[in-house]
This record gives sequence, C-alpha cells and structure tokens, in this order.
Amino acid sequence: MTTTLSHTAVAAPRRRLQRDQVIGLLMVALGLFTAWAFGLGSAGRSHSQFTFNPVNTSGTVPWHLGALTLPTRVSCLLAGALIVAGGVEILWRRPRRALMARFGGGAVLFFLAILLWASRTHGPSQVSFVNLTSVLVGGVAPAVVLIYGSLSGVLCERAGVVNIAIEGQFLAGAFLGSLIDSVTHNFFFATLGGVVVGAGIGAILAFFALRYQSDQIIAGVVLASLVISLGSYLNLQVLTPYPQYNAGSPAPNLTIPLLAKIPVLGPVLFDENGYFYLAVVLVLLISFGLFRTRWGLRVRAVGEHPKAAASVGIDVIRTRYVNVILGGVVAGVGGVALFAWQGQFQPGITSGYGYIALAGLIFGRWRPSGVVVAALLFGMSVYLANNLQTYQVPVSTSILLMFPYVVTIFVVSGLIGRVRAPAADGIPYQRD
Amino acid sequence: MRRLARWWRALYASPVLLTAFAVVLGLVVGMFVIIFTTTPVLDAWRGFFNSWGSPGHAFKATLDYVGAAYRSMFNGAVIDPASLWNSLRTGQGWTQTLTPLSETLTYATPLTIASIGVGITFQTGLFNIGANGQAIVGGIIGVAVGSSLHLPTVVLIPLTLLAGVAGGVVTGAIPGLLKAFTGAHEVIVTLMFNYVANLLLIFALLSTPLQQPGQGNDISRILRPGALLSPLFGATSGLRVNWGLFIAAAVVVLAWWFLERSSLGFEFRVSGANPHAARVSGINPRKVTIVAFLISGGLAGLAGITQVAGTTHYIDGGFLVGSAGIGFTAITVSLLGRNRPIGIMWGALLFAALGVGGRSMQATTGIPLDLATIIQYSIVLFIATPVLVEEIFRLRARGVGGLQLASQGWNT
Repeated sequence: MTTTLSHTAVAAPRRRLQRDQVIGLLMVALGLFTAWAFGLGSAGRSHSQFTFNPVNTSGTVPWHLGALTLPTRVSCLLAGALIVAGGVEILWRRPRRALMARFGGGAVLFFLAILLWASRTHGPSQVSFVNLTSVLVGGVAPAVVLIYGSLSGVLCERAGVVNIAIEGQFLAGAFLGSLIDSVTHNFFFATLGGVVVGAGIGAILAFFALRYQSDQIIAGVVLASLVISLGSYLNLQVLTPYPQYNAGSPAPNLTIPLLAKIPVLGPVLFDENGYFYLAVVLVLLISFGLFRTRWGLRVRAVGEHPKAAASVGIDVIRTRYVNVILGGVVAGVGGVALFAWQGQFQPGITSGYGYIALAGLIFGRWRPSGVVVAALLFGMSVYLANNLQTYQVPVSTSILLMFPYVVTIFVVSGLIGRVRAPAADGIPYQRD
Repeated sequence: MRRLARWWRALYASPVLLTAFAVVLGLVVGMFVIIFTTTPVLDAWRGFFNSWGSPGHAFKATLDYVGAAYRSMFNGAVIDPASLWNSLRTGQGWTQTLTPLSETLTYATPLTIASIGVGITFQTGLFNIGANGQAIVGGIIGVAVGSSLHLPTVVLIPLTLLAGVAGGVVTGAIPGLLKAFTGAHEVIVTLMFNYVANLLLIFALLSTPLQQPGQGNDISRILRPGALLSPLFGATSGLRVNWGLFIAAAVVVLAWWFLERSSLGFEFRVSGANPHAARVSGINPRKVTIVAFLISGGLAGLAGITQVAGTTHYIDGGFLVGSAGIGFTAITVSLLGRNRPIGIMWGALLFAALGVGGRSMQATTGIPLDLATIIQYSIVLFIATPVLVEEIFRLRARGVGGLQLASQGWNT
C-alpha cells in the first residue's frame, strides 16, 4: 500500500507550520531559555574561564594558550540573544538553504552557554574553568561511534532495507572486540572480529528481510534484542568466570606528527585513535561512492524504485544483500570503536547508541555529511550528560543523563518534520 | 479414518502447528547456545576423535547438560513430576507442587496486559516499542499514589490502578501526539522514552516522595496493605498468584470486544491493514494514531502497576530492567499471538513459563536466565518468518502469511 505512487497521490496540501518555521520557533525558544536559565541564572559578578591546553594527549604541546576569562552573565545573555537572532532571521527571511548549519550554530552557542554557566565562579562548582579542548575531544569520542552506526544505516537504507539491528551489531562488535583485544592485545584483530560479527548479523537480517520478506522493523528489533540477551548471557557465562577475557584497554591514540600540534584543533582532529580516522575515511568514501559512482547510482535506484532498477538489469536482491552486509560490517566496526573508547565490555555498553544513530541517520537525511553533523550534536550531548556532574550543577545525575535521549526526541520530532526516506525503504521486494 | 486424515490436514495447515514448530526451533537454538558456552560439553566435543567411546561421551554430555537445563525449566515453570507424585501419594506439600504453576500465572498476568497494549498498536499499523518505559512510569505513579494515601481498600485499589494507567497514558500520549502532529517516527520516540523512563525511575526512587524513609538505596516505599492485589488463595497459602489474574482476563475480553466488535476497533484494524483505504473512507489517521497510543500506553501502565500491586509490592532500581523487561517481552508475545487478544493470552502463558522456568534453571544449573530470553526472541524470529519454518518442517500453513505490517519504513 505504500508504493511511491499512492504516496504522492495522498500527500495533499495541509495547512501546517513549515519545517523552517518550526526550526525558527525552536531556536527562538532555545535562545530565550539560554538567556533566562544561564544568563539571568548566574550572579552578575561571576566569571567563567575557558582554557585550551590539552590535559592528556600523547604528543607534547609546543604552544601554550592563555585562559580566556568571560563575564558569565553577559556572555550567556549574548549567546541567548544570538540564538534568538538566528531564529528570527529564519522566520523572517525563510532561507532555503543551510538551515541545519544555522541550527548547528545555535546548538554550539547553547552548549557553550551551558559550560559557561556550569563553571562560573561563586557557583556550586569546585572547578572554575572549562577546558575547551577536552570538551571537544570528549564529545568527538561518542560521535565517532554514532557516525559508524549512522553510516551503516545509510548503506542499508539507501538500498531500501531498514536496519534497526544496529544496536545489536554495536553490542556484538564491542563484545568480540573486547574478547579479541583481551587475548591478542591487537586492535587489528579486534576490528576484524567486529567486521565478521557485524557482517554475520547483517547477513541474518538480510536473509530474513530479503529471502523471507519479514517485516524489517520487527526482524531488526527482535534481532537486536536477541543479540543483547546473548551478550548478557555470555557476559555471565563466559566473562564473569574468566575475567581475563574482559581485560582489554582503550585503543591508543595515533598522533599525526605535525598537525597534532595545531592549537585546539590538533588534539581534536589529529590525535585520535584509529577508529576516528577510519570513520573520516568511511564518510568520504561512502559519500563519494553513493553520489559519484555507478555503484552508488545503482544502490540508490534500488532503494528508490526497485522495479525500475530491476527493469534495467540491476539485481535488486543481490544489491540489497551486499549493502546490508556492508552496513553490518560498518556497524560491527562501530561496536569495536565503542569498546576502544570505553576500554571494557559490559552488557549495557551500547545504552541505546544504535537507536540514537538511527535518529542521526534520519536527522542527517540519509546523507553521510548530514550524519556527521547529527553525530556531533548527539556526541556533544552525551559528553555533557556524562560530565556536567564534575561542575556540581544542581540537577540530578539521572536527569542529566536523559539529555541525549531527549535531544533525540526533539530532533526527530521538531527539526525533521515529515522525512522523505528512500522511497522503497523498508518495503520488501518481490520478483515478478 | 477419513475424518482423521482431514483433521490431520487441518492441523497441518493451522497456525498453531506453525507456532509449535517455532517453539521447537527456539529450543534447538537454546540448545546450541548451551553447547557452545558450557565448558564440560565443549571439552567432550573437542575430544570427539580421541577414542572409540568419545563420540558417545560427547553426545551424552550434551544430552545431560541440555536435558538438565530444559528439565529444570519445565519443573520450575509447570510442575515437578516428583513433587506431584509425592503430593498425590501423601496428600502433603501441595504448596510446593503448585508453586511453579502459580508463578507462571503470576508472571503472565502483567505480561498479558502489556502485550495486548502492544498488540493493539501493531494491529493499527503502529509500533509501540516503548511499553517498557510506559510500564515503568505507570509503576512509579501507581506506587506514589498507593503508598501515600490512607483510604479504604475499595477506593485505594482502583485509585492505585488508575494512577498506574494514567502514568502509562501520559507516557504513551507523547509519541502518539508527536507522530500525529510532527511526523516523528514512533519507533525512535518510544525507544528513547524507554531510556528516559529508566533514568526517571532512578531519579524518582532517590527523591523524597517515593524513596523508602531511612533508605539510601534506590528502593521505593511499600504499597499500603489496602492497595495490594491479594493472593487468590489467601496470604497464608504461599502461592503468589493474585487477583491481578482477573484484571488480565478482563483486559483480554475487553480487548477482544474492542478490536472485533466496536467501531473504533474496526477503524484501528482498517488503518493497520490499509492506511490508504482508511483515509479514503474517512477515518481520521491522526485520531487513530493518538487513541491507539493512549490505549496502548494505558495498558502498559496498568501492567506495570499490576506487577507492583500483585507481586513485588514496591519498586527498586531493577524494576523491569533490560532487554528482558516486560515491555520487550510484550513485543515478542504480541507477535507470537499474532496481535490478537486470545492468541496473546496463550503467548503470554508460554513466555511466562519460559521466564519462570529460566529462573529455576538458573538456580539449579547455573545457566543464566538470559537463555530463556534468547529462546523467546528466537521463537519470535521464526514466527515472523513462517516461510522458513514451513520449509524446515515441510508444513503447508496456507493463509497464515508473514507478520507484515502496513507501516513499513520511515515514510509512513
């Protein structure tokens, strides 16, 4: 019933807020909140400090940047005003392009205001400064994992298969990565493990979705839950009695010689572990592959209109198999990256990242570049949720930890509106 | 003779047999998991070619371990034959004999309610993956009401249950409203709400109104005696099966009536079967979406508070946690029961037995409870792909069809 034709026929014009208006209104609200909570919420005389020198990088620092001291209230009010201005500009001029860039700018200002407010002097905080470099490094780490998950989604869904099992592939990758790293102390083999197990789960999903045409969302959710229970089972049955199999360590950083010494950006972009660089390569590769090569054109054709694709001789089922397995590989490596960031496996290690990655995929509109922006937004909220406690903000830990999930809900509901996925996404294909 | 043949053919083509075979396949998957994770069994297989006796030894070790696991599962969930024989012979120890059945029914009570909630959204073509979160919030609100008010039982029990329903309704309303008005896909929103609800639970348990006085841990106050669903056979019987069973039965009947006989239920099913036709025939998709989520959330909340009022009497940080949480099992149960109330009831009984049996298996053989969950999910994976089961067992279950939902992908 959800063929492309009926879709265009049903999409009758409705009087409702356009997506850009929603974004504009949201930004105005966010700006007002920033000004109220963080600007007026801090005493007039308090100050906040940004520092820039990295605390724990593997390379030595040839430069030394001074701290930047800002008056908290004025800065937060300014940030709020800028966000409001951005929102008003969207509502007023209704710009066609770069909406997300504007919203991203607003989000950055919002995060900065939170940090300024949390670290203000004469506040509850013992720590009276924010190390901006550490914040960026810390926010990129979860973002990398999310990028893998969303890229996996891009590969699968561009070919028309919904992959909800990303959470399961993450968990399996993290489990096997941890196991292999504990035994061999070699992240290359760990990554291979992630590749194999991710591909395996991808193959099972493809098998159920393509050969037996099960409902893809159901198969994905059930498969993910199955892998998660299996992880919990193996944790009790294998890892608890043999703790030597869960004795891995975080992946070491690979420092790129000269570039790593650039202030602020160096530690963030050029002093990361291998999974970061691999993610960058994958983003470029998939972006190029999908939109600039014959392979990509075929994949997109299969995802948009499989019958048409089949009529020009493309093997729809085979394309989908290949892409779902490739997607599984990417998500499996993402699971290893998750372990490489945390350094130890535990049953709840994924904590919904696979599902957040799906939201990032939708937010990023099924494009690798959009996915990166979404992952950074979510990564930063994960970092803030985990680290604002150091500043003893007057909010309970549990409430803070809700932050990334609530951001996700806001993003899928407010920012995206009705999405347009690849037209045949999630619909089983039957050969005639 | 001919009648027998016809009967056999009918059984051969019925979904019941398909389900039974899926269960068998699920148990086979569980068997392999046990084999690959139990050291003595693995050792026996590793020495398969050592001597003439080795293969026999390997099979025997496998049978011993898998048999012990499944036997303790059965004994813990249905009835222990030895204990039954003892009771029949001596007329003593009926409590011990009936405890497994009572436990299974106790566990099936909230599971049935939550699963019917999930099934209603499935029938409407919507996914409610967030029943767990809705049940948690229902539990929180229900306990808040049931542990703090001083009222007579006649008032307090309905009030507590209603509070639980209200908690679920509010939590379920959000994804419904968001779906209807902004198009946010309910899968993501409900999944996120599961995490939010888990954190909310910890927060609520550590804050004053709900936390047990004098406790530093995440434990709630205990429900007032007047808010409890008391055991069916009296508090002294030692059997935990409680009046919640009748709530579950009422929900089954009402849900059946609602889906099969009421006009709103008809609108739900039409929307699920063919959203395009539903819209053309004047069914308001927005209303259907919102109401389906209200009902589903309310039932999940009812399940949560029934669990508390009937069984645990308080909640702690482990309330409905993890992938074995009631909301996730409810998804599988609903699929197992083909989203129909009666089918769901049987499915809930089966999965409750698996869960309860899994606990007994963990206690006697040390194999983690998660094995039961693995078996459950495998069963559902097989149920969701009837063609596969039919191929394996050469069945001919025509007209059963896969579990296809009208809502596919993100575009709907």
